[in-house]
Amino acid sequence: MSLRESLASGQLHGYRQDLFGMLSKRWVFVALTVVPALAVFGFVNMFPMLWALAASFFEVGAFQPSWTWAGIENFETVLANSDFWASIRRSVIFAAGSVVLQVTTGTALAILLDRKFSFKRVIRAIALVPYIVPTAVLSFVALWMGNARYGIINQLLVEVGLISEFIAWYGTTDLAMLSVIVTSSWKFTIFVTIIVLARLQSIPASIYEAATVSGASRWDRFKDITLPNLKGVLFIVVLLRGVWMFNKFDIIFILTNGGPINTTTTASIYAYRTAFSDFNLGEAAAVSTLLFVLLVGAAIVYFYFFEPSQEVRVE
Amino acid sequence: MSSDAATPMEFWYRLPYSQREKYYNWALNLVLSIGLVLILFPIYWMVATSLMSPEGLFSLPNPLVPTDVTLETYRSVLETDVLLWYRNTIFLAAGVVGLTTVAATLGGYGLARLDIPFKKTFARVILFGYMFPPILLSIPMFIFWRQIGIINSLPGVIIAQTATTLPFSLWLMWQFFQTVPYSYEESARIIGCSRFQAFYEIALPLAKPGMIAVAIFSFAIAWGAYTIPTVLLTSNSKWVLTLGLYSFTQQESVLWGQIMAASTMLVLPTFAFVYYLQKYILRGFRATRI
Repeated sequence: MSLRESLASGQLHGYRQDLFGMLSKRWVFVALTVVPALAVFGFVNMFPMLWALAASFFEVGAFQPSWTWAGIENFETVLANSDFWASIRRSVIFAAGSVVLQVTTGTALAILLDRKFSFKRVIRAIALVPYIVPTAVLSFVALWMGNARYGIINQLLVEVGLISEFIAWYGTTDLAMLSVIVTSSWKFTIFVTIIVLARLQSIPASIYEAATVSGASRWDRFKDITLPNLKGVLFIVVLLRGVWMFNKFDIIFILTNGGPINTTTTASIYAYRTAFSDFNLGEAAAVSTLLFVLLVGAAIVYFYFFEPSQEVRVE
Repeated sequence: MSSDAATPMEFWYRLPYSQREKYYNWALNLVLSIGLVLILFPIYWMVATSLMSPEGLFSLPNPLVPTDVTLETYRSVLETDVLLWYRNTIFLAAGVVGLTTVAATLGGYGLARLDIPFKKTFARVILFGYMFPPILLSIPMFIFWRQIGIINSLPGVIIAQTATTLPFSLWLMWQFFQTVPYSYEESARIIGCSRFQAFYEIALPLAKPGMIAVAIFSFAIAWGAYTIPTVLLTSNSKWVLTLGLYSFTQQESVLWGQIMAASTMLVLPTFAFVYYLQKYILRGFRATRI
């Protein structure tokens, strides 16, 4: 019986009423809504995190489950290793470069798409496509297009005369990091575009009209209407993209595997090698614990300084 | 000062408003077109490469439009386990989307509406779930999954992969339910609806755009999942297609044509998906504000 019918008949009948009544008991309702999410979150997010936090204080055997108490030895080893610090620096460069590139181009693309133009539906769909292209596919296509002997990018650039000979985009120490940042931004920029475009569409057109009528230039409208409205979403987008790019693993792993000569060995590649090449799980756990502490610290500072003053409640 | 000595700026502002708007729009359309070319070209080149013959692939310069179109690479790709991996990818994506959407919708509603202690703290802490590198979440998962016997199985990967989709989805639904006016549900309660009925028949339909946004977000991640399946799937009959791409790289050579053909098979069907759901993508993500 639908709600409308129940209302028409004035009351609820039969077992549905009993069922709904049972489901509406406070503890049942809490169990039904919050508990599944909490259980999954606890099982796949909290549990592995706590495991790794604990493991960072032990020497963990890779092949047999033996844990030997090591105190802060793992941390001492990691912190004394200059490779670790170099990898953190590369993660910061990778994350900062990616966030700047993605947020600026993503916002610009969203503004471009939030206008009137023909074939809107098709063009918007095209713009959203990179969002669902798998990272592995993107990586292989990029490796092929940037190939030092056959890459189409090299062919085209030589043809128009921008470069004189073919370049190994992912194999040159000076270029690898930049190439990886640009490649990953091809895909992840669209996340910014989607969120910003969604927000732009909820700004009433009448505000822009009123501003235009009272003589505001395009730049004024952008500065005084668009940007303030985007502040909230940009805050969260910068946070999420920053964290995601800082911990990014797959695209770097496929594109360069940390090379050439470690120029793209970010912290997560470093942690992967510690765990799966050196089979030092305790130390790998210590690396991830340090990354976690670093990111949480950065996030707290970020929230403290930049959080938009109040939460928006639409009622 | 005579008028024919005008600077470009003066000339520009002397144009009527409608004409200036027209030129602005042309300029912006030009920028948008360049952007679209940059987005489309890699996808085009992937498809074009998959249609080239092996000899054409390595005879430079490649023509921008392949001249010797052949389906030979597709035939050789289909001789491998690619359809099996494809099926596994679909299974993984369906599982992750289902699990994430259900858990995030219910949880988001609970966090937005129910009076639970510490819920606000919890809702903020959710996003901290991303601050741990996923590659390192997979190590404890590997060890523990092996103990409870779900290692090297797709259900095991579905649960594990949810670690990367659930935090943002839960947060998004929490935000989304805050934009659904509570007064509708209150009215329903006053005229005698139970709490569950108010949720099921009023809040849930209104939250549909948010649910679809969550489904698309988790689909995009699950369809391209790589890191966690790499660690958790050890036998290649359980592989998903993203891992299968690696089987076309050999010791000395990389079968670019085959990789591009398999990639095309993985990417093209999702285009229809984006085309038909774009309205919901944008509507669902509209709730993301702080």
